[in-house]
Amino acid sequence: MVWQAELDELRQREALARQMGGADKVKRQHDGGRLTVRERVDALVDPGSFHETGTIAGKAQYDATGKLEEFTPSNCVFGRAAIDGRPVVVVGDDFTVRGGSADATIREKPLMAERLANEFQLPIIRIIEGSGGGGSVKTIETTGRANLPNGVGGGGMFNYSTLNMSVVPVVGLGLGSVAGLGAARLAASHYSVMTKSSAMFVAGPPVVSRLGKEVTKQELGGWEIQCRAGGVDHAVDTEEEAFACARRFLSYLPSSVHGLPPITPCTDDPERRDEALMAAVPRDRRRVYQMRPIIEKVVDEGSFFEMGRMFGRSVITGLARLNGQPVALMASDPFFYGGSWTADACQKVVRFVDLAETFHLPVVYLMDCPGFMIGLEAERAATIRHGVRAMAAVNQTTVPWCTIVIRNAFGVAGAVHQPAGRLSLRYAWLSARWGSLPLEGGIEAAYRAEIDAADDPAAKLAEIEERLNLLRSPFRTAETFWVEEIIDPRDTRRLLCDFAKLAEPLRRPQPSRLQMRP
Amino acid sequence: MADIAVPVEITASVWKIEATPGQAVAAGDVLMILESMKMEIPVESPRAGTVKSILVAEGDQVNEGQVVLLLDA
Repeated sequence: MVWQAELDELRQREALARQMGGADKVKRQHDGGRLTVRERVDALVDPGSFHETGTIAGKAQYDATGKLEEFTPSNCVFGRAAIDGRPVVVVGDDFTVRGGSADATIREKPLMAERLANEFQLPIIRIIEGSGGGGSVKTIETTGRANLPNGVGGGGMFNYSTLNMSVVPVVGLGLGSVAGLGAARLAASHYSVMTKSSAMFVAGPPVVSRLGKEVTKQELGGWEIQCRAGGVDHAVDTEEEAFACARRFLSYLPSSVHGLPPITPCTDDPERRDEALMAAVPRDRRRVYQMRPIIEKVVDEGSFFEMGRMFGRSVITGLARLNGQPVALMASDPFFYGGSWTADACQKVVRFVDLAETFHLPVVYLMDCPGFMIGLEAERAATIRHGVRAMAAVNQTTVPWCTIVIRNAFGVAGAVHQPAGRLSLRYAWLSARWGSLPLEGGIEAAYRAEIDAADDPAAKLAEIEERLNLLRSPFRTAETFWVEEIIDPRDTRRLLCDFAKLAEPLRRPQPSRLQMRP
Repeated sequence: MADIAVPVEITASVWKIEATPGQAVAAGDVLMILESMKMEIPVESPRAGTVKSILVAEGDQVNEGQVVLLLDA
């Protein structure tokens, strides 16, 4: 063999790279209950599908004769692989080498992973641990100078971290302590998952303690903090579950904005009528009900994949299938503020409909919204500012849209139930009720003079309320065609599957007019 | 037996307290009912146990995340 010696050296260098940070560091990673980056990649993608790029890139030391003495691989491992047979890009931080920090990354590796995703139009999964290729304090000594973030030649990662969100599906997995640029790369994704033993923060406890606040990693950026704040979408117990979430998320999406969401065979009857839907909403208007069972009953069985459950909880968002076709499904949760839109819920809606618009997913909205959240706390949160942003996001969509008014539709938030400037489908359940303003609390103000003049103001108030309530029947609205259709709730699945069929040829595999923001 | 803190998920007012100290409850039982946006929103027991103490009164304002009841479970 003419090139045997070189082949032997290549294999030797690859073997050295696979040792990662060495046996001690690998043991420490395992003792902490965490997989190594290479084990993570293997567990995430289809068996045997990983083709690595730049395996032997790293820092080498040579002896006086020029023989390789020592080798530390770059702590960025990336390449292409397949998930459910579809090509993807995977890029992961190796925490066993310098804690994943930039000193050992080789800047061009994670950058090429992002470019590969961008230019070959492939979904990218970022497995993040440590500072995600960001610097450590020691960097200043190794380079001998201070780094201007996004300085000359250094903007690539900042560009692609967000640019890719308007081109390909981006999944972030936070597995361990994630800080700085790592946190940014995790948050700049369409869907992010962390394990419950992980933590994410802009800066970790040692830095925060300099502000006079002693906190543990979990207290600072544990899963409950991040998921409730909307920094991360979902938390799971094990890394394997995180990989399963990533695979499932991608199954609803095209590989890039240049493709369409894949339609899969459906075994669930599109005409299925669930009797329980007739009793799903209580007659007593003050009583709440569970929305998730309603979702489960109308979409393809087992197809609902919720995202961001702990944030902006009055709105439920997730992906689902209707007769095999992926859709973006949004629904109200009356258990949280009666389903009213808080500032957080509005931010959630913006990000969610942007996702739908970016990847050509038809939107289904199961609505029960009594309005924007009211009160001092809501005003302090600038609910109306976030509310009109949500309205703009909905109005700017071009994907097919179908709304089912389950119960309430009140006020301006009640108006944001379909894009205002174009035609979409809308059905109201028998339990639907609506108004520009809710009657309760409004009558006293509007009929003040009449009530004050009455001998028995309380009786007068009750009399007016009864009179107005009679006018509230949705049938009166339908008879003037202010709402187009009132339906038997049991027909909901059939009508939604029909909507999906109508929507199918309207989906356009092209970049959205607006670039999605994280 | 350990104390289980039951927090509320929303900022609201306490409309009606259903549970009494010493009462045995199952997971999912309604412990109290909050009022928010004119809706009655139940606070359900996260698990089976005995109500140890109730930390709020009807009419109180409660904040998201506030512990309103302790369970022995």
